[in-house]
Amino acid sequence: MKAAGPAFSRTGLVLFLVFFIAALFADILAPFPPQERFAPYTPPDGTHILGTNDLGHDILSELIFGSRVSLLVGFGAALIATILGLGIGLVSGYFKGAADHILMGVTDIFLLIPRIPLIIILAAFLRPSSWLIGLVIGLLWWTSTARIVRSRVLQVREMDFVLSARCLGFSHRHIVFSEILPNIIHLVLPKFMLTIATAMIAEASLSFLGLGDPGMKSWGMMLNFAFQKGALVNGLWWWLLPPGLCITLIVVAVVLIGLSWEERETAGIAAGG
Amino acid sequence: MGRRLSGLAVNLSLLALFLMLHPLSGSSPNSNPPDERASPQDPVLLRIGTTDLVQSANILLDANLSLFAHVSNPTLMKMNQEIEPEGQLVEAIEASADLKTWTLTLKDDLFWSDGLPVTSADVRFTLTYLRDKFPAAGWIKNTVSEISIVDRHTVVIRINRPYGRLDFEFTTYPLLPQHVWETIENPLRHTNPGRIIGCGPFIIDRTDLNRGVVAMVRNPHWKGPESQIDVVEIHLYKNRDVLALALEREDIDIFYEYASSYPYVNLDRLRGSGRFEFLEQLNLGLYFLGFNLKKPPMSDPKFRRAVALALDHEEILRLILLDNGRKPQLGFIPPSMPAFKPTRECALDRKEAARMLDEAGCRDRNRDGLRELGGGKDLRLTLLVDPHKPFNARLSELVEEYLRAVGLRVSIKAVEGSSWVSLKDRYSYDLVISRTSPWGMLMHASWATGYFDARRTGEGVLHTVDDPKFLALCDDLLAETDPGRFRSLAHRVQDYYAENLPAVALLWNKIITPYNQDFYGWELDPLYGLFNIDTLLSVRRKQP
Amino acid sequence: MKKSLRYLIALFVIFTLNFFIPRAMPGDPLANLLGEDYVIDEASLADLRAELGLDRPLPVQFLRYWSEILRLDLGYSFRFHDRVTHVIGARLPWTLLLVGSSILLGACMGTLLGAFSGWSRASLKNRTGTVLFLSVYSMPPFFLSLLLLYVFAFRLGWFPLKGVYASGEWTDILRHFFLPVMSLTLYLAARYYLIMRGSVIQERDKAYVLYARAKGLFGRRILFRHVFKNASLPIVTLIALDFGFIFSGALFVEIVFSMNGLGTLIYDALLARDYPVLQGIFLIITVMVVVANAAADAVYPLIDPRVRKGV
Repeated sequence: MKAAGPAFSRTGLVLFLVFFIAALFADILAPFPPQERFAPYTPPDGTHILGTNDLGHDILSELIFGSRVSLLVGFGAALIATILGLGIGLVSGYFKGAADHILMGVTDIFLLIPRIPLIIILAAFLRPSSWLIGLVIGLLWWTSTARIVRSRVLQVREMDFVLSARCLGFSHRHIVFSEILPNIIHLVLPKFMLTIATAMIAEASLSFLGLGDPGMKSWGMMLNFAFQKGALVNGLWWWLLPPGLCITLIVVAVVLIGLSWEERETAGIAAGG
Repeated sequence: MGRRLSGLAVNLSLLALFLMLHPLSGSSPNSNPPDERASPQDPVLLRIGTTDLVQSANILLDANLSLFAHVSNPTLMKMNQEIEPEGQLVEAIEASADLKTWTLTLKDDLFWSDGLPVTSADVRFTLTYLRDKFPAAGWIKNTVSEISIVDRHTVVIRINRPYGRLDFEFTTYPLLPQHVWETIENPLRHTNPGRIIGCGPFIIDRTDLNRGVVAMVRNPHWKGPESQIDVVEIHLYKNRDVLALALEREDIDIFYEYASSYPYVNLDRLRGSGRFEFLEQLNLGLYFLGFNLKKPPMSDPKFRRAVALALDHEEILRLILLDNGRKPQLGFIPPSMPAFKPTRECALDRKEAARMLDEAGCRDRNRDGLRELGGGKDLRLTLLVDPHKPFNARLSELVEEYLRAVGLRVSIKAVEGSSWVSLKDRYSYDLVISRTSPWGMLMHASWATGYFDARRTGEGVLHTVDDPKFLALCDDLLAETDPGRFRSLAHRVQDYYAENLPAVALLWNKIITPYNQDFYGWELDPLYGLFNIDTLLSVRRKQP
Repeated sequence: MKKSLRYLIALFVIFTLNFFIPRAMPGDPLANLLGEDYVIDEASLADLRAELGLDRPLPVQFLRYWSEILRLDLGYSFRFHDRVTHVIGARLPWTLLLVGSSILLGACMGTLLGAFSGWSRASLKNRTGTVLFLSVYSMPPFFLSLLLLYVFAFRLGWFPLKGVYASGEWTDILRHFFLPVMSLTLYLAARYYLIMRGSVIQERDKAYVLYARAKGLFGRRILFRHVFKNASLPIVTLIALDFGFIFSGALFVEIVFSMNGLGTLIYDALLARDYPVLQGIFLIITVMVVVANAAADAVYPLIDPRVRKGV
C-alpha cells in the first residue's frame, strides 16, 4: 500500500509500545508513588518535571500510572465489543433465517440508542468504576463489528471450501471455527483497534465530567481536577496539557495501527480473496 | 472544472471567514458593549457573577432564583447579623404568652411595583396560597388554624400548638401579591421570564436563560432608603474558571455563590492585580465526616474518637482551604454561629488513635496492616461522598489516607446527588462526607440539630442520632423562650457533640468574596450574602 | 417496505426502553427538587408525588407515557416548571445550529481535503496534513474545546466566554458560536478526512481510473468526475449514521463553552432525575437518528446506480 506505508504502522506501534511499557512498569518508571504528597501547586522544576497538583501529587507519576486506566478500559471494552460483535455477526451470517432477522433487529435498536448519553446516565448513578465503564462501553459498541462480520460471513459461507465442508457433513461448530473464523479474523482486528480508540476517548470524556473512577486516576480525571482546581485561570499548562496530549497520542497510536491493518486487509480483498 | 470548483470553495471560505471576523475587528479583550462601561449619565450597573444557575423563571420553586428574589420579593422577617429573626416587611411581631397567637404589623410604606400597596390581605393570601400549593409549606396545614385580618396592616395568626419559632418560619417565604398570584392556578407549572411584581427596592425585570442573565431594575414605588444602584444584573456561569476570568476581565463586578467562597487558589492573582478588594466571613455552615451510628464499629464512641484523632486537621486546612479558615473543634459548631462555645481542639494523635482502636476491639491480628472487627475479617469502611460538590473529592482522598495510616481500610463510594440521598437515607454507608448549609444549621432546634435528629427528614440530613438525651435537648430548645436558658441549652448541644461525636467537623472555611474596587460599602448577610435588601441599599459605585 | 417496518419496530422498542431506563436509576426525583434546605413532611411529599404522577403504578405511568407520545406531548418537567416541549424547544435550535453548521463545514472540508490527500502521491504536505488531522481526530472533543477556549477566549480575549448570545444580533451570535462550531467542525473534518482519504486511495487503483487515464484525462478531472462520487458514497451514509455520535460530541462542546443547548440540558436533567426531560430528549434524538438513517437509505441509491437495481 503506497499511501499509508510502513511508516504509519511503525509509528503507531512504537507509540503504543511506549504507553504499554509505561503502564506495565509504572511502579519503576514513575519518579514517585502517585499517592505521595509534596508541596501543592508547584510549577515544573528539577524534582518534579511536571510539577505537582492541588494536593501535592507529582503530576508525572500520576500521568504514568494513568496509562493503566486508559489501556485497561480501552482494551477491556474493545474485547467485549469485538467478541460480542463477532459472535452476533457469525450466528447471524451463518445461520441466516430467523436468527438473522432477530439479531439484525437487535443491532438496529442498539445503533439507534444514543450511546454517550446512556453511558453518562449509567455512570452517574452506578458506582463509577473503570471495570463498569469498560463493560458498558463494550456492551454498546459491538454493532459495527457485527455488521461487518455478518456481511463477510455471508460471503464466506458460499465459498467452495465451506460448501464442500458442509457437503461432507462437518458439524456447524467445526465449520465456523475451522473454516469461517480464520477468514474473518483479520477483518475484525482493525475494528478491534479502532474500538479501543473510541473506548479510550469515551472513558476520558466521562472522567472529565467527573463520572470516572475516583480511585484510579485516569487522564480524564486528571483533567477534571485540573479544570476544577483553577488550572485554566492560573495558566497551569503543565497540569492541563500533558493528560490531554497523552490521551491524544495513545489514540493516535491505536488509530494508526488500526488504519494500517485496515488498508492491508482491503488490499488483500482487492487482490482477490 | 475541478480547478474552478476548488477555487470557488476557497473564495467562499475566505468570504465566510471575513464575514465572521469582521464584527470582531473592533473588539477589545473587554467584551462588554461600550455603553456598559461607566459614565456619569449612564445608569449605575452592578453585575454579579454566579455559578448558582437558574433552571426556570419561578421564584417559589427554583432554588437559586428564589435566593436572588430575596431582594425583589422579600420575606416578612429576615435573620439579622446576630442570626436572630428581625422584621423586614414587618414592623412588629408579638406572640401571646402561650405562644399560640401571633400578631404581625406590616410596615405602612410598602408598595408593589405596579403601585398597589402591600396590605395584610397579601399576608393572609400568601400563607393560604403556600399552604395549599407549595409542598415545603405543608406544615402550615397542620399548624395554623386561623389567619384573621384586623386592619390594613395587622394580621393575627392562631396556631394549634405552642410554637416559639414561628417568626423564624416567616424568614423563609416571599410575600406574594394577591392580585397577581390569585390567578396562577398551579405554581408548580408556572414560569415568568418577564417582569415579576415585587415590593423590594429592586424587581426582577427579565430572566434570560440564553444570555445567562437575570436583570433587576429599581422598583418605581419603593418608598424606603434609596439605592445608589440603578440596575442589577446577575450573570450565570456554568463553571467557576470562566467566572473567575470574567471577574478578572471586569465583565462582572463581584462574585457570588451561596455559602461558598471564591476559589482560594485564584485569590493571589486578584490581589496581584490591585483592582480588587475582598470581603471575608466565616461560613455559618461547615464540612463534616459523619458516622453511621447504627452500625458497629461506628456505634462505638471510642471508635469515633479514634477516627477524630487520626485526622490531620491542620493539613486539611492548609491543603484544601489554603489556610483560609479555622481549625475545627470537636464541638462541631463554628464560631460564626451565635452562642458558640469553645470545646476541645481536634488534635492529631495517631498513637492515641491506634490505642483507642485497639480498645474498641479493632485490632490487626493477622498483621497485614489492616484492622479487623472483633475476630472476623478485615474491616472495610465505605465512605459515601458526592464528588461533584466542592472540596468533597479531595477531602475523601485525604480522609482515606489518614485512616489507612492507622490501619483502617476505607473504600470511597462516589455517587452523584440523587443516588447519594437514597443511599444515605437507607444507611448504606459507614462514613459519609457532606456539608451543612447556613440555613441548615438553623433548622429544627438550630445548632445543626436538624442534621442529626433521627425524627427528621430532608435532603442533606443524616438523621442518625436517636439518643433520648439528644432528642430531649432538641425538644427543650424548641420550647424555650428565655434567651439565657436558650444559650445554655445551645452550649449543652455543643458539649454533646464534643462528647459523643455523631460527626467530626472537617472544614470551617472562610467565605471570601472579591469585588471590583469601583464599588464600596458592602454589607453581607450571614445567610444569603449579597442577596438581601440592606446590601443593595448600602453599596455605592465610585464616580469614574 | 421491510426496512421501514424494521425502523418502526426499533423505534417502538427504544421508546419503551426510554421509559424504563430513567426509572430504573436509583435516586428519587424528588430528592433534588426543592434544594438542600427544604424539609417536607410526609403528607406534602405524597401530594407532590401525586402531582407529578409518580405515585401511580408503573403500568399506568407507562400508558400515560405512550398516550402523551401519540399526542406529541412530552409531558411536564418538574424541574423547569414548564412543558417539556417548551424546555427542549428553547434549546434545540442552538444545538441544531451548532451541529448543523459543523456537519456542513466539516463534511465539506474533510471530504475535499481528504480526497486531495488520497489522490496525490505521498509528500511532506500530504503527510503533515494527515498527521494533523489524525491528531485532531484522536483528541477527545472536550479537550479540543478546552484548548480553543483557553487560547482564543481566555488568553487572547477574541471571543466571549459563555452563552449563545449577549445582545441577540446575528453578528453577536456568530461570535459566540465561532469557537464551538470550529471545535466540532475540526473534529468532524478530521474524521471525514481520514475516511475519504482511505476511500480515494482504494478507488484510485481501480480499473476504471486506469482506463480514464488511458483515455487521456488529466489527474484532477479524473478525481472529480469519477473518483470523488464513488469515494464519497460511504461518507453519505456515515453522516447519517453519525448523527447520534455527533450529538454526543456537541454535548461536550456545549458544556465547555457554557452554551444553553441540548447537551447541557441532558446533563442537568440527568443529575436532577428529571424523567420527562430525559425521555423527551432521548425521544427526539432517536427520532432524528432514525430520520437521518432513513434519509440515507433513500438517498444512497440515487448516488450509487449500482445499488439502484436492487442488486
